[in-house]
Amino acid sequence: MSTPVKASFQTRLMEILDGSPKHTASRYVEWLITTVVLVNCTAVVLDSVPEIHAKYQNFFHALEFWSVMFFTVEYLTRIWSLGAKFGPAEGGAWKGRFQYMFSTFGLVDFFATMPYYLHFFFPYIDLRILRVLRLLRLLKLTKYNTALQDLFRAVYSERKAFGSAVFLLTIATIVSASLMHFAEGRQNPKDFGTIPHSIYWAIVSITSGYGNVEPMTKSGEAIALITGFIGVCMAAIMTGIVASAFANQVARKKAAFEAQLRDVFEDGLMSDAEEAGLKRLQAQYRLTDEQVQAMLLRAQNKASTKG
Amino acid sequence: MPNSRLHLTPYQRVRRRAFEIMDGAVVDKYSRFVEFFVALLVVANVIGIILESVPEILHAHAAAFHAFDVFSVAVFSLEYVLRVWSGGSKYDIGKPATPNGQAPETWRGRKEYIFSFYGIIDFISTVPFYLQLLFPGADLRVLRMFRLLRIFKLSRYNSAFEDMVAAVKAERDSFSSAVFLLFISCMLFSSLIYIVEGHAQPEVFPSIPAAMHWFSVTIIAGWGNVEPVTYFGTVLVVFTQILSIALAAILTGVVASAYTAQVERREALYEMELREVLADGVVTEEEQEHLKALQAKFGMSDDQVAALVAQMEDEKRVADSKN
Repeated sequence: MSTPVKASFQTRLMEILDGSPKHTASRYVEWLITTVVLVNCTAVVLDSVPEIHAKYQNFFHALEFWSVMFFTVEYLTRIWSLGAKFGPAEGGAWKGRFQYMFSTFGLVDFFATMPYYLHFFFPYIDLRILRVLRLLRLLKLTKYNTALQDLFRAVYSERKAFGSAVFLLTIATIVSASLMHFAEGRQNPKDFGTIPHSIYWAIVSITSGYGNVEPMTKSGEAIALITGFIGVCMAAIMTGIVASAFANQVARKKAAFEAQLRDVFEDGLMSDAEEAGLKRLQAQYRLTDEQVQAMLLRAQNKASTKG
Repeated sequence: MPNSRLHLTPYQRVRRRAFEIMDGAVVDKYSRFVEFFVALLVVANVIGIILESVPEILHAHAAAFHAFDVFSVAVFSLEYVLRVWSGGSKYDIGKPATPNGQAPETWRGRKEYIFSFYGIIDFISTVPFYLQLLFPGADLRVLRMFRLLRIFKLSRYNSAFEDMVAAVKAERDSFSSAVFLLFISCMLFSSLIYIVEGHAQPEVFPSIPAAMHWFSVTIIAGWGNVEPVTYFGTVLVVFTQILSIALAAILTGVVASAYTAQVERREALYEMELREVLADGVVTEEEQEHLKALQAKFGMSDDQVAALVAQMEDEKRVADSKN
């Protein structure tokens, strides 16, 4: 931050890496990172096939090396550029940097890249752990998927309903597993010998339906059927919750947009700035033109009946 | 409407009429007949393809099947040629003719048809038959597969397919995020199970692609037919199964809300039209017909429409009393 030129370059870099729509470059950066991540994941998958591994081992090694270089540069650039986020008065360069480093995406970026360097220091480390960590690179993609974040938000807003569904699921699993253990534990010790074994059976029965273990007693048969039926109910409950979460979210967005519209029509006319603001809001809420048109007409009507 | 075609030459008028009949732009008994005939032939074709796959039936009636196929290809070829030719009339209404008698945008309409979804379907479901004549040694099974594409010709006459596509398109962000979630969990879970169980059960999980197959079966059917042998593997299997319910719920939820939104959008559209019609206070016969057609197209009930009209009349009364 010694000269203004450097500061402005740093700010621009920060905005580009952050995906700000101000710069066209931010879209290219997004595409580039997405492509590298996808190529990497394809390589991890293909590398696990023994025949392919034997043939292209060197290529995969080189790819991994250059990807790690790429991600390292990305990580360091992010850290450096985020120094511009807060001015000296607001907490200084390192406030923004620490904020990123300890955010979910910062941690993902770190753990998806850095373990590669570990095996320079510890050559005998278990490679399988490294491979698992390489898969974390996939999570880098979630940063660019705003719809996915929407989905999580919708689910999060219904977390109480989800919590009670999970609670019901747990109770149903434990009760039917215990009952099955008492009913069939002696006849079928392989599947129902202990309650943990029965719990595994119960989860399979609830999630995928009746039938992976044939019960031997009449009471076992009854319990298995009821467990399968509970599974159907659970699926229905979950679906209902998600559907209503989505519907609620759409309604929330529309209400917010409509409130904005009413504000705009308060004075009876729409300025260019107001129109641009509405356009941006529409894109953000992913409302279609027809929906907006209908709301606009309604708002105009309301305004004219008042006036 | 009839006045707008006065500037057309007789040839163009014939072509325009052919376009209206083929495209169903104007619904009359001729276009209905074409629609019905093509649909009937497609259904007969699909039944024929299914029956042909039973060796006994094919041997007993080989000549009849062949004759029917030749007939169908002849009809569909004629249909395709007519559609391309008459497609030239799509943009000739209201445009002055050029000195050589050709409307200016003849090829625009044709290209639009040729490269549209149905244009491509019409083409590749018919043409393979001619390839067979040119190259008698070609693999017949591939050709038969292309013939099956004829079934998509039916969806031109059924709005359900278009409704679905429109609903999905409107919610494409939610859909793509659900698919993205599926993709990420597929990669993560199949890699993890390969790492955890690959050594214990190399015959089931020899590579990540094999584990991805297991994951897909588990997500779709809920039970991948593989018993995990390690404790961590058991935990992964249990999580995958719970995930299968969650993903099914998310997809169902997205579809349900997409359809609801679609219905709402249509009501909004209808309301807009209705407002426009009622704006001048007079409802002409033409306007009434237009609204009726729209109501039928959107599948709205009379009650819904009556409620909308009543609401609008109320609004008008309030506005009048204020003024």
